[in-house]
Amino acid sequence: MRHLPVLCLCLALAACGGDFSNDDLEFLNALPRREDLAAKLPQKGQGRSGGGLTTRAAGLVVRLGETSELMGDTEETGRAFNAGVDALLSLLEDIRSLPPTTREPDRREWGPYRAPNHPGFDVRFVMTREASSFDYRLEYRRTGGGEAGWWAFLSGTFEADAGIRKGVGSLHLDVERSEQEGLPASDLRTLRRLGIQYQTKALPTRVELTFTPRDGAFPVSRYTYREAQGSLGEMHFLLPGQDLVPGGLLEDLSLTTRWAPDGRGMAVLDVVSGDIRGAKYTECWDAQGRVTFTARSWDFFNPTEGERSTCPDFSALDG
Amino acid sequence: MSALPSLARAVSMALVLMASSADAEALRRFALVAGNDEGGAGTRPLRFARDDARKMHALLQRLGGVAPADAKLLLNEDARDFLAALSELEQRARAARERGERTALFVYYSGHAKDGALRLGETRLAFDDLKRRLADAPSDIRIAILDSCRSGAMTRTKGARRAPAFDIESGAGRDARGLVILTSSAADEDSQESDALAGSYFSHHLTSGLLGDADRSGDGRVTLFEAYSHAYARTVADTAASTAGPQHPTFSYDLAGNGDLVLTDLRASSGGLVVPGAAPGGTYYFVDPGGLVVAELDKAADVERRVALAPGTYRVKRRLPDRLRIGEVEVRRGQQAVLQESRLQDAPFSDDPVKGALPSGGGGAWWTVGLSGGVQSYFDAPTRDALFLSVGMVGAEAQLHDYFRRDWVWGVDAATGSRRAVLMLPSLSGPAYRYAMTSVGTTLTSEWPLGRVAPFLGARVAWLHMRRDFEDAAFPDQTFAMFSPGVVAGVRWNPLSRLHLTARARAHYLLYNVDAQRSLGFWELGALVTYQP
Repeated sequence: MRHLPVLCLCLALAACGGDFSNDDLEFLNALPRREDLAAKLPQKGQGRSGGGLTTRAAGLVVRLGETSELMGDTEETGRAFNAGVDALLSLLEDIRSLPPTTREPDRREWGPYRAPNHPGFDVRFVMTREASSFDYRLEYRRTGGGEAGWWAFLSGTFEADAGIRKGVGSLHLDVERSEQEGLPASDLRTLRRLGIQYQTKALPTRVELTFTPRDGAFPVSRYTYREAQGSLGEMHFLLPGQDLVPGGLLEDLSLTTRWAPDGRGMAVLDVVSGDIRGAKYTECWDAQGRVTFTARSWDFFNPTEGERSTCPDFSALDG
Repeated sequence: MSALPSLARAVSMALVLMASSADAEALRRFALVAGNDEGGAGTRPLRFARDDARKMHALLQRLGGVAPADAKLLLNEDARDFLAALSELEQRARAARERGERTALFVYYSGHAKDGALRLGETRLAFDDLKRRLADAPSDIRIAILDSCRSGAMTRTKGARRAPAFDIESGAGRDARGLVILTSSAADEDSQESDALAGSYFSHHLTSGLLGDADRSGDGRVTLFEAYSHAYARTVADTAASTAGPQHPTFSYDLAGNGDLVLTDLRASSGGLVVPGAAPGGTYYFVDPGGLVVAELDKAADVERRVALAPGTYRVKRRLPDRLRIGEVEVRRGQQAVLQESRLQDAPFSDDPVKGALPSGGGGAWWTVGLSGGVQSYFDAPTRDALFLSVGMVGAEAQLHDYFRRDWVWGVDAATGSRRAVLMLPSLSGPAYRYAMTSVGTTLTSEWPLGRVAPFLGARVAWLHMRRDFEDAAFPDQTFAMFSPGVVAGVRWNPLSRLHLTARARAHYLLYNVDAQRSLGFWELGALVTYQP
């Protein structure tokens, strides 16, 4: 008992310090989260389904009241988009749960740690700040390597604009370098690079996901997601090599789909090249995913079907 | 001064007194009252010397005919200050004499004395020097009362007695001149303090006597010799059974002319308390809200007595063989209160209102427990806006009084507070969070009691724990803990006997070392309500 006061004092001394830091919060605020960049897909209505353009048998022969296949394309592409975002941002999630290992006035470092799933590698996360600009890198090196041995698997930047994760940023995965360093990213081995550029400081927000293939296995693919006031969403992407109409050429399509939170939507399909280059197809659907309006620029006799007024107002996404 | 044997002087003095009368009004009175708990090397600090001095200083002004401008109170000051104050009073007395006034110089000292000298802290004032100084003082009457160990050495060379030498007379005489020295103990005795009385035995009985208990003649005036003989008898009686042995006050006089000196005039105060003749005889104790006996009264049956209590509420106790009679009386300014026996109630001895007599008194130390409320805020604006927020706090506290030393208070406290806020930083604004602060501290303060009010000053060490929990899971909850030294000042008020109200301010230093090494400071304002079990 006579040692109790000393014991209490030691416990209290051991409890001194902590992680109460405004700078830590500003650094963490520079890291994007999934909900900031992921596409908010339309609600899945009752009886809705979609096959996508690739499963379309009869090109753009669409009847009013049928289930919109472009709506299905939108959802499918949105899920793929979000999977790409997840692939990038999952690497950052663990950082949020750990206090920095090293704090300097404009620098934070987590680690180095032994890379949990990559024996023989160390990993660290480094963030630097200059005014409101932040850079960050997820770096690996072979265990025992010196300072020069670090290389960045993930790199990112963020220009803060106050608010919670509001600003302009980018990040990318250097898959090719990872392969070269003997650290294969098995889920991404068809890619050379996966990148995101985004702005979240003002509506409509914008997120562009770029897949750069290895050895030209497929064209560079860009998916752009935008979100406007009222949770209106827009996805824009290219669909190369689609056989849209009978003829000798395949069509490269530019597809822009927009949707409202209740499931209503609109798609605009521009033919960039192919048999009907310059053609434009517009389709609207209701909350159940049924087509309510179509417009075909190349159809002289029946350019439109249904009422254009059934299309939702997406003017907040214009411009 | 005089070659007469002491017995002869006593006889001559008695004759003088028989033909003399006390006359308070004709004298211009000056008073130097000093109390010093410290006696320097080789002595243990006293607990109540300053309190004794405060009581005497207040009493002389209220009842002793000493104008506030003519009274000096020295607390824990050294010999140089003592002599300087004495010189100032001497000058004023000289000026008064030159104007034709009769003057009296009253010097009271409570504190240490050793090896033939008063010990005022680390400084000394030899008895012989003081006596010579008083003998030469330009005043008609000089009265020195020394409440200190072995102070009887001051009177040993002349006229020392171990018993009152005078019968109390109330004759008609005037013009006494000379020097009187009263001491609390003989040259080979210690003067003793009492926790129950919160003062020395001698000074307590002297002041109690001056309040009226010593007025055996019943004329409403307490003379020097009434007061002395009362203090003598009560001091010897109270200390007879003590481990240090009985303590015998002494006196020395060198008076000429006619006259006893009235020290207090109970009629000077239009208030006070009257114990009517019909009240039962016995010893009455008058207890203040702090549980201390401020006056006693030894009353005979069918004799009306008066006690010049200061305005306030007192508990009255009369002890019977098998029980107590207890009641409460309020003395109002300008009104004479009358003690009604019918308002006293029987009570067991365990309900004795005298603090020192309670079993929980613990030799004078006492506890309080209480609840506190306050606000904490950092001096640095960016810190209090975005890091450690200004926050209201509630807490609990326990205090131990008079344990380590008289008027020292050791306390332990815990407090907590929280509030909601929105974070606003240069590159991040908007996250909502709850900020919470908890502190556990210990404080050591020194109090300076002034009646029911006691200002205090001290030091505190606290362990602080701050936390903020964000509503957005993207931001981690954060904590910080650190020891923090500080100072505290305030005032404690004692409106009821067991209830204390305290207002206080604290200033603390805090080392923040997460983002960078930063020295921060914060203040706290608070109020505390404590109860003395």
